[in-house]
Amino acid sequence: MYLILSDSEDQCSFRVRGALEASGFRSVTIANPMIDPARFRWHLDSEVCRSEVEFPQQPPISLDDIGGVLVRSHGWLDPHGWESGDLAYVQAEMQAAMLAWMWSLHCPVINRYPPGIWYRPQIPLLCWQKLLVNCGLQTSEILITNVEQETLALREHLNSKGVVGAFYGPLTSHGGYLVTDEKEWCGLANLQNVAPVCLAEPHGEATLVCVVGERILWRGVPSRDMTRLEPNLNRFAVEAGLDFVELALAPADDSIRVVAVEPQPHFEWFDTSAQQQIVDGLVHLLTTGKESGFC
Amino acid sequence: MILVCGGLADTVTELVCARLQNCGYPYRFLDLGTYPKGFKIKWSWQGPIPNGYIAGPDWKVDLNELTGVYARYLGPEGRLPPPDTPTSAAPAIYNEYDTGLITLMEDLPCVVINRIAGGLSNNSKLFQALLVRQSGLRTPPTLVTNDAEAVVRFYHKHHENIIYKSLSGVRSIVRRLSPDQLDRLPLLCHCPTQFQACIPGINVRVHTVGDELFAVRVHSDVVDYRYAHAEGSDVTMEPVSVPPSVANSCLQLSHQLGLLLSGIDLKETPEGDYYCFEINPSPGFLYYEKYSGQPISLAVAELLHNGMHSSGLCSKRNSHTQAAMEPNTTKVNY
Repeated sequence: MYLILSDSEDQCSFRVRGALEASGFRSVTIANPMIDPARFRWHLDSEVCRSEVEFPQQPPISLDDIGGVLVRSHGWLDPHGWESGDLAYVQAEMQAAMLAWMWSLHCPVINRYPPGIWYRPQIPLLCWQKLLVNCGLQTSEILITNVEQETLALREHLNSKGVVGAFYGPLTSHGGYLVTDEKEWCGLANLQNVAPVCLAEPHGEATLVCVVGERILWRGVPSRDMTRLEPNLNRFAVEAGLDFVELALAPADDSIRVVAVEPQPHFEWFDTSAQQQIVDGLVHLLTTGKESGFC
Repeated sequence: MILVCGGLADTVTELVCARLQNCGYPYRFLDLGTYPKGFKIKWSWQGPIPNGYIAGPDWKVDLNELTGVYARYLGPEGRLPPPDTPTSAAPAIYNEYDTGLITLMEDLPCVVINRIAGGLSNNSKLFQALLVRQSGLRTPPTLVTNDAEAVVRFYHKHHENIIYKSLSGVRSIVRRLSPDQLDRLPLLCHCPTQFQACIPGINVRVHTVGDELFAVRVHSDVVDYRYAHAEGSDVTMEPVSVPPSVANSCLQLSHQLGLLLSGIDLKETPEGDYYCFEINPSPGFLYYEKYSGQPISLAVAELLHNGMHSSGLCSKRNSHTQAAMEPNTTKVNY
């Protein structure tokens, strides 16, 4: 039995389930196995770690029956009918239980997210910096400052290299824009009165790449400089503890830089051929992956 | 130079500052209640280690001068509202402030008490319980469920003596499940909840500071001693030495989570077993230091000043740590 934690609209989950069943494997897709109508029971002590999930009119599925888990949802909860305070509490409890349960399973879990990623799904690129560099991958120079003179110094430094503008992006969201003209630089200076700003050297067009176990799948055709980094990308995924991870690479300052890391890959952003290979890679990992986990 | 990041009204941060002052260890205070107002920062990354500075009203520290950072983050309360911003936007802006600081702390090469990554495990007590099982400490019989019938079975199996509490980082008061609450159990179907068998014995709180360990027995007749005064009861504490295997397990857990300072909640049973309930990455150790007299803040100050591998640690405390690590130890007298 394979468990796919996902909402019904996730194409990746839908395709993986189809591929599993086509290969004769039973699977269940559920957004959240810990709330009604499912019944979830997990007994844990120093010697015992036994969990089971029961769906209406079906026999319980025990931990030992689960061959693998694909995690595309962190435990979705319908907010309808909840007061905001209660909803926040229930979501915190759900996420806590789900994280731990994933680590209790000894079957392959893709991804078995470490707490540092589980609780920071929109983790800024800067947080990956050390690991990326240690894996031989480069990122652009990043500056955080609330000092206007420092921003101007960066602007002049980039200008001297023939680079027009800088990329501004908040640390806590995916938004961002290129700061080029005088009006935008003034706007940035105003923003610095409220909060330090995060600036990076602008980069060329980004190419998406997905690491699925040992497989590297590109969206489109990567440059030779990018494909040379494939061993580094594999190493990064292993060091990060992620079997399934998406990165964006782009040329900047005569080299290839990592400009984004996404622990929950955007399956739909890849072309048909890459999607099929992602599905094959995930099924392979689920059905042949190594057992681990804490129990 | 040491950097302390916290709130002026936070008594634990105040204690750390006072101890640093008392030791003569230079430090700068970054007031998270007002930050970034009144501070100038420049942090840049060209490789794995950040460069730059932090400047206050009358001081400036280069990041490469720092020997240690102590950080205790604030909630939205007690913080200066961001300028020219609607109140509803304030939490998002505080998050942006904190994320910058947290990211900086993660990458600084000096001692940081504590980096956030390890501390996030505290948002799932169950995740911590899995680590505890591997450390050699005992985990209480626990049931996590949304199934009312399973709770009733668990309740009877453990002689109608079980407690319930949050399993996330949301603070909750530990309560005993009473018979009149059984009728409400069907509400559980909306959210998994944690139940545990009541473990008889005495609460033991362990603080780890780097490689040092401070243990204290907490005597109280209420289920959750943190709320003893609110329930009209008293708390007394006595410093103790825990068996070496327990001390090693506590240090192992802290190191595994990358925590240079932790507060670990144990229970010592009459049979001499030690159960572990939680590893707190931002412990309010003032409470324990005040009651027990243990020099926890001094150990923190020295760690911040000297780093992990210093030889300048106080010999008295070293002897206590040593005692805790040796076999057949008895209670340490302070």
